[in-house]
Amino acid sequence: MGRYVIRRLLQMIPVFIGATLLIFLMVNVMGDPIAGLCGDKQCDPATAAQLRQEYNLDKPVWQQYLTYMGKVFTGDFGTAFNGQPVTELMASSFPVTIRLTVVAILFEIVIGISLGVVTGLRRGRPVDTGVLLLTLVVISVPTFVTGLLLQLLLGVEWGWIRPSVSPDATFGELIVPGLVLASVSLAYVTRLTRTSIAENRRSDYVRTAVAKGLPRRRVITRHLLRNSLIPVITFIGTDIGALMGGAIVTERIFNIHGVGFQLYQGIVRQNTQTVVGFVTILVLVFLVANLLVDLLYAVLDPRIRYA
Amino acid sequence: MPEPQQPEGVIAPTGMGGTMDLGAGEALTLEKTPGGPEGTGPQEKPRSLWSDAWRDLRRNPVFIVSALVILFLVVISVRPSLITSGNPLQCDLAKAQEGSQPGHPFGFDGQGCDVYTRTVYGTRISISVGVLATLGVALLGSLLGGLAGFYGGVWDSILSRITDIFFAIPVVLGGLVLLSVVTSNTVWPVIGFMVLLGWPQISRIARGSVITTRQNDYVQAARALGASNSRLLLRHIAPNAVAPVIVVATIALGTYIALEATLSYLGVGLKPPTVSWGIDISSASAYIRQAPHMLLWPAGALAITVLAFIMLGDAVRDALDPKLR
Amino acid sequence: MLLEVRDLHVEFRTRDGVAKAVNGVAYGVDEGETLAVLGESGSGKSVTAQAVMGILDTPPARITGGEILFQGRDLLTLKEDERRKVRGAGMAMIFQDALSALNPVLSVGDQLGEMFVVHRGMSRKDARAKAVELMDRVRIPAAADRVRDYPHQFSGGMRQRIMIAMALALEPALIIADEPTTALDVTVQAQVMDLLAELRRELHMGLILITHDLGVVADVADRIAVMYAGRIVESAPVHDIYKAPAHPYTRGLLDSIPRLDQKGHELYAIKGLPPNLMRIPPGCAFHPRCPMARDVCRTDVPPQAEVEGSGGARRSACFFWRECLDGRHDG
Repeated sequence: MGRYVIRRLLQMIPVFIGATLLIFLMVNVMGDPIAGLCGDKQCDPATAAQLRQEYNLDKPVWQQYLTYMGKVFTGDFGTAFNGQPVTELMASSFPVTIRLTVVAILFEIVIGISLGVVTGLRRGRPVDTGVLLLTLVVISVPTFVTGLLLQLLLGVEWGWIRPSVSPDATFGELIVPGLVLASVSLAYVTRLTRTSIAENRRSDYVRTAVAKGLPRRRVITRHLLRNSLIPVITFIGTDIGALMGGAIVTERIFNIHGVGFQLYQGIVRQNTQTVVGFVTILVLVFLVANLLVDLLYAVLDPRIRYA
Repeated sequence: MPEPQQPEGVIAPTGMGGTMDLGAGEALTLEKTPGGPEGTGPQEKPRSLWSDAWRDLRRNPVFIVSALVILFLVVISVRPSLITSGNPLQCDLAKAQEGSQPGHPFGFDGQGCDVYTRTVYGTRISISVGVLATLGVALLGSLLGGLAGFYGGVWDSILSRITDIFFAIPVVLGGLVLLSVVTSNTVWPVIGFMVLLGWPQISRIARGSVITTRQNDYVQAARALGASNSRLLLRHIAPNAVAPVIVVATIALGTYIALEATLSYLGVGLKPPTVSWGIDISSASAYIRQAPHMLLWPAGALAITVLAFIMLGDAVRDALDPKLR
Repeated sequence: MLLEVRDLHVEFRTRDGVAKAVNGVAYGVDEGETLAVLGESGSGKSVTAQAVMGILDTPPARITGGEILFQGRDLLTLKEDERRKVRGAGMAMIFQDALSALNPVLSVGDQLGEMFVVHRGMSRKDARAKAVELMDRVRIPAAADRVRDYPHQFSGGMRQRIMIAMALALEPALIIADEPTTALDVTVQAQVMDLLAELRRELHMGLILITHDLGVVADVADRIAVMYAGRIVESAPVHDIYKAPAHPYTRGLLDSIPRLDQKGHELYAIKGLPPNLMRIPPGCAFHPRCPMARDVCRTDVPPQAEVEGSGGARRSACFFWRECLDGRHDG
C-alpha cells in the first residue's frame, strides 16, 4: 500500500507539471501579460519594459515557468491585477467555493443515490421511467440555463431566495447555487447508481443472499448496496475537483465571489499570475482527490490489492 | 495497478455542462449472450451485433423520436428559410422586448429582433459546431487511442499520461483562457478548442475498446494465421471496437452544443452579429425579469437539441449492450 | 415425503415471447434420500429448483400452476415472510459457481455468521465462532485464521466448501445442490462430492442433486429424475436406470457417456438440438430427436406410465417404454 501511494505520487508529478505548463502556455502565448499587469490603464513603453524585466517576460517561456513555479513552492503566487497578492484572493475565495462544493456533493449523495436506488429497484416501472426522463432533461439543459431559470423562478418570481449571494456566502445562501452546480452530476449519480443496482440485483451473490433467507431490507443494504455503491463513490470522489473547477458559471450567475469569480476576473484582465495560481491549486485538488478515490477503492473492494 | 480514476466510460466530469456522459460506469461490453432464461433454445439464425442492434433500434420509440428531431434540426440548419421568411438580423428597436403577436409567435428580443427567426437560424451554428467538433474529436481520438491500444508499450504510456494532463484541466476554464483573446468571430476557434480538449476522452474509450477486442480469440486466431498488423487493425479490430466510440461520440455531440452555448454565454465563444442560441440566451439574461420569453425560446431549442443527441446515443448504447436486457 | 412438487408450471416472459421452462414437473424427496435431477441445459431442472427455493426472479419468471409441499405446507401459498424463514433454515441451496455466488466484499466469516445472526438472533461474536466451527466441519485448514479472508482468497475447491458450509449452517432438512462440482477441477470434484455426501448422511438430510453428469449420479443418488423440455420423462431408482432405461432420451444420455470398455467404438450422440422453449414441439417434445418416434408421438402427449414390475417406483413418459426397456431400436 505504502509503495503504491509513493508510486502514485510520483506519477502525479508529470501530470501536475504538464497541466500547469499547459495552462501557463495558454495564458502566456495567447495573451499579453503586460496589458494585464498595468490594470485598466494603458501601459507606457518605459513601464512596460521595466515590468517585462521584473517579471522575467524577456526570458524564454520555459524559464518563466520555472521561475514562477519556484516561487509558487515558496508560497509566492504573485500579484493580482488590483495589486493584492494572489494568495489573499485565494484565502477569501477558496472557502466560499469549498462551501459551494460541499453543498453540491451533499446533493449528489443524498438525492442522487436515493433516486438511483429507488429507480434501480423498480426498473421499468413508472417511477423509473419518470426519473430517468428527468435526469436526461437535467443533463441536456446546460448549467447556465438551469441556473438562470432557477434564479428567475425562486429568486425573482417567488422570492424564496435572494437572486444574488452576499459576500459572506453562508451555507444557507448556497443551497440553490449548490443544487445548480450539482445538477448535471446529480443526474449522473442517479443513473450510475440505478444501473449499478439493477446490474448487481441479478448477480449470483444477491441470489445467494435471498436463498439464505435474509430479510429483503438486509439483502438490499448489506449485500446489494455495499457492492453497487463502489463505482458511485468513485464517481463522486473524482467529481470534487471537477466541481470546484467548474463553478465559474454558477458563481457568475449568482454573483458568488469564489474561485470561479476570481478566475474569470483574472482571465478577462489577462492576469497570468492569478489564472495560473488558481489553476495550479485546482489541478492539485483534482489529483489528490483522484488519489484518495483510488485508495478508498481498495478499502471498499477487498479484491483490489495495490502492489 | 488498477485504474479506477474514473468508472469505465465516464468522461471528464466537468460539472459544467461541458463534456459529460450518460453512461457513467455503464461499461459497454459487446459480448452477445442468448437472451431469455436458461436455454430458450438455439437461435434460428446467427445475427450480427449490428443487425441485431438495428432491429432493436427500429422498434425503440426513443430512437425514432430523437432521430426524427435530429433530422428536422439538420434540415432547418441547412435551409432555415423553409420554416421562416424573416431575417434574423433585421430588427426594429421600437418593438424591443415585446411579447408574442401575430406573425411573431415568440415575440421580440432586446434589440427588437424576431425571436422565432433568430431561434431558427441559431440551429445552424449549434449543429455545425456539434457535428464538426465531434468529427474532429472522434477522428483524432480514435486514431491516437486506437494505435496506442494496439501497439501498447511506450507510446501507450506516454499517451495515457498526456490524457491524464488534459483531464486535469477543467474544460470551461480551458475554453475561457484559450478563447478569451481570439478575435476571429467564426466557429473555427471554438471547434479547434473542442478538438484540442476533447480528444483525450474519445482516445481513452478507443484505447480500452481496442485492448478488449485485441484479446478476443478470433483476433488471436487471425494473428496466429499470419495476418499483418494493418489487416488485423482494419479488418478485425476496428469494426468491432468502434461501437463504444460511436456511442460516446453521439452523446458528446450533444454536450459540445451545450458547451458552445456556455462559452458564448460567458462571452468567449461566438459574438454578435453571429446568430447563436448561446449569445441570445446571454443577452436575454439581462432582461430576465422584464421579458423571460427572450430566454425561454432559445434555451428550449438548445435543450431539445442536446436532449435529442443524448437520447440517440443512449438508445444506440442500449441496443449495442445486450447485458441489461 | 419431505418435499413434494406437484404439477409445477413456470413461464418466462421475455421480449421475444413466452418461454415455457417448466411444464408440469412432479417429483418428491424423502428425508435422508438423494434425488438426482438430470438433463441438458434448458431442460428446466435449475428453474424447478429455484422455484422450490423461492428465488426465481419474478418477473420475468412466473409460476403459473402447481404445488410445492415442504414438510406438509404448500410453499406457494405462504406469506413472503414465512417463506423467507424456510429458506436457509428449512432448505438451503448450493450454487454452481461459488466465486460469483459469494459476496466479494464481505469476509467468508461474515457471510457464514450471517445465517446465525438472522435466523437465530446470535451476537456477531457467537456467530463468528459458529462460522469457524462450520469451516472446520467442511475441512478448511486453519479455519480460525481464514475466517476473515474474502472469497477471492480461497481456491475453487475451498470456496465450494464454504458454499456447502453455508448451506449446512442451520442443518436444514433439505439441500438443493445445483451442479455443485461443475465449475471445479476434475481432481477436486470427487473430494467435494464425497464431502457433500458424507455430511448429508451425518445430518440425515434430503438432497436434490442437479447435474448433467451421469458419472456423479451413480455414486451418490438413490433415485433419478430425467428432465426434458420442462417435463420429467423418466424417474426411477438409480440402478434400474443404469440397467435398462425406459425412455429413449435416457437411453441416448447413457449411450453418450464414453466408456473405457468400448474403446474404438464411435461415441453415440443424440441427434438434433434441445427444443426452443418458446416453441416446444407438439405431442412428445422429444419426438424430433427420437429414433423410435411414430405418428402418435407427434400428436399426443405421452402420460407418465408406471413401469410394470417396479411397484410404482418407476415411471416413464414414453408410449413405447416397453420396447425401450427391451433395447429394441427402430432407428
